[in-house]
Amino acid sequence: MTLRRRLDGGAVWAVTGLASLCLAAILGVCGYVLVRGLGAFWPAPVVELSLRDGSVHLGEVVAWDDGFLVLRESETERVGAHYRRVARGDIAREARPDDAVSLQGADGRRLFVRGGEDPAPAVVVESLRPNVLSTLDRVGVTLARAARFVTGGATGSPWVGGMFPAIAGTLLLVMLMALFVVPLGTATAAFLHLRKGRAARLVRGAVATLASVPSIVYGVIGLGLFVHGLGRALDQWFHAAQQPVPVFGSGGLLWAALTLALLTLPVFVTSVDQGLSRLPRSLEAGSLALGATREQTLRMLLLPAAWPAMLTGLMLAVARACGAVAPLMLVGVVELAPALPLDGEFPYLHPSRQFMHLGHAVYDAAMANPDPFRGVSRAFAAAALLLAVVLVLNFVAMVLRDRLRERYRALDD
Amino acid sequence: MAGPDHAIDTVVAGVPVAARARRLNLWYGPSHVLKGVDCDLPERRITAVVGASGCGKTSFLRCLNRLNDEIEGARVEGEVRIGSVDAYAPGTAVHALRRRVGMVFQRPLPFPQSIVDNVTYGLRVAGVRNRRERMDRVEAALRLAGLWDEVADRLGRSALELSLGQQQRLVLARAIAVEPEMLLLDEPTSALDPAATLRLEERLQELSGRFTLVLVTHNMQQASRMSDFTAFMHDGRIVEFGPTGTVFVNPRDRRTEYFITGRDG
Repeated sequence: MTLRRRLDGGAVWAVTGLASLCLAAILGVCGYVLVRGLGAFWPAPVVELSLRDGSVHLGEVVAWDDGFLVLRESETERVGAHYRRVARGDIAREARPDDAVSLQGADGRRLFVRGGEDPAPAVVVESLRPNVLSTLDRVGVTLARAARFVTGGATGSPWVGGMFPAIAGTLLLVMLMALFVVPLGTATAAFLHLRKGRAARLVRGAVATLASVPSIVYGVIGLGLFVHGLGRALDQWFHAAQQPVPVFGSGGLLWAALTLALLTLPVFVTSVDQGLSRLPRSLEAGSLALGATREQTLRMLLLPAAWPAMLTGLMLAVARACGAVAPLMLVGVVELAPALPLDGEFPYLHPSRQFMHLGHAVYDAAMANPDPFRGVSRAFAAAALLLAVVLVLNFVAMVLRDRLRERYRALDD
Repeated sequence: MAGPDHAIDTVVAGVPVAARARRLNLWYGPSHVLKGVDCDLPERRITAVVGASGCGKTSFLRCLNRLNDEIEGARVEGEVRIGSVDAYAPGTAVHALRRRVGMVFQRPLPFPQSIVDNVTYGLRVAGVRNRRERMDRVEAALRLAGLWDEVADRLGRSALELSLGQQQRLVLARAIAVEPEMLLLDEPTSALDPAATLRLEERLQELSGRFTLVLVTHNMQQASRMSDFTAFMHDGRIVEFGPTGTVFVNPRDRRTEYFITGRDG
């Protein structure tokens, strides 16, 4: 109301307009990534091109312009090696035969045959006739492919196969990071609250500075301090027999989690610090009047009451961690990990193992993929997945925080 | 007069004294808030502290449990004695002192925890681990505060769900649970409606048989109907102290008379 009164009509419109623009931009970005991501799985029609030189080619059109189009033919040998560039002028006849079958091999190869022909010698995970599918069928195929993409394991190549290892790696990484950030950050915020003098100002300044350090710098710090420093020392003490093969002395989940913990510590500390200072001062007085020390007050009363702020801080930290790919590349993320860091083998969690990460998968699919016509759509699919993971984590934290807010509502007035 | 090592053996109007202040001075930074307060607080009686806003009533109260220690720039000189304890002596443990001197604030402020956790807070702080003992004390304290019948079936619920009047009685129970000798009440009814005020006053009246109560209030009717003794503060000093009847009916000091009758001094 006060804001309204201070602004004239035009300014109100401008503010409202800009706010709507922001909202539209957010929805637009999410929508675009989701549409492009799911679009990667939409079943394309199979065309049969009869060229003027008499040859006949069966496949999917993956790119086109006024003069040429690019046809993906049966990948009989390997993925991404059977593209044919065709001049439109050379095409005598174009058909979409009803009996054209599109096959998907377990190794990622796509094969096209006419009905009755012998399917290629491959383990087939999907077989369909794209030209006779109804729209509903196509949606079903898209969803089935998306599900395979989410739940499927890695194959021999990093550019085909499912994202399950990357999702698991991302989640494990974030959880392990939270395990480091929460106690360390809470302790720092508690220190800031207990010491009000120059020491606190110094630490607060340091935390603010850390927040502005570029993430790649953290990667270098992690590489030097954790991988080469701590990791090699650990190897010398505990795995001397296996040397020179590194166990902890190369990048791995543990070091990546520690690096991300450093990276996200400022966000978390600031959030908890602010949460603590937002609590009514009289709460502390009430506790002190009952004979509690300031440490007891903090531990038994203020920190539990600052729960919502801690969750907010964790939410921000997780969001920042999911977005930081650059430092991970230095401390243990790989495009193709031979095994998950979590399995049924004792001790179940293997913190020294290298791991896969969704953020890195996006980069890898888009920039390192030898198949030029699959890279970008695969990158969008991975990006949509990353977005979904972050949104789900945020949603869970929000629900949790709102439930806690409910309990502490009376404190907010 | 008693020596510094002995319990107070002064008697006021036939009542032994539970706590006293002598030449008590308090500064908040450069501002001199209490200017040599002398006061005797009779045991198991209600002593009302009245006076205009800013005269130092609350500051005086906070000297008795050393809550002023927590304010940056606060400095205290003089003597405060709670029973046998010299509050500001170098060897005095401030946390132990605060357990002997409970406090209820203006605005009811329960901790954002369950009702039972609120009442056991002081006990947990003091290291009382025995659950059985804690629960016994919870019931006793809630009964004394007149809240037991209202919350007995929802001890695990959040204290913030209670009404304002109930919250203030919960804070009272929280203070009682650590079994203090004294209770400092800083305008405890100023945030409450008349019905809740009445209920709290009833409870306080009853508690005066067990504890030494010091009641800071702006409400002259409340002071006159509840207290046994009244101290009138003016500009950082106690200018008049005596049995409430005497102070209200026959004040010695003109400033007291003006204040009580509502005239400008």
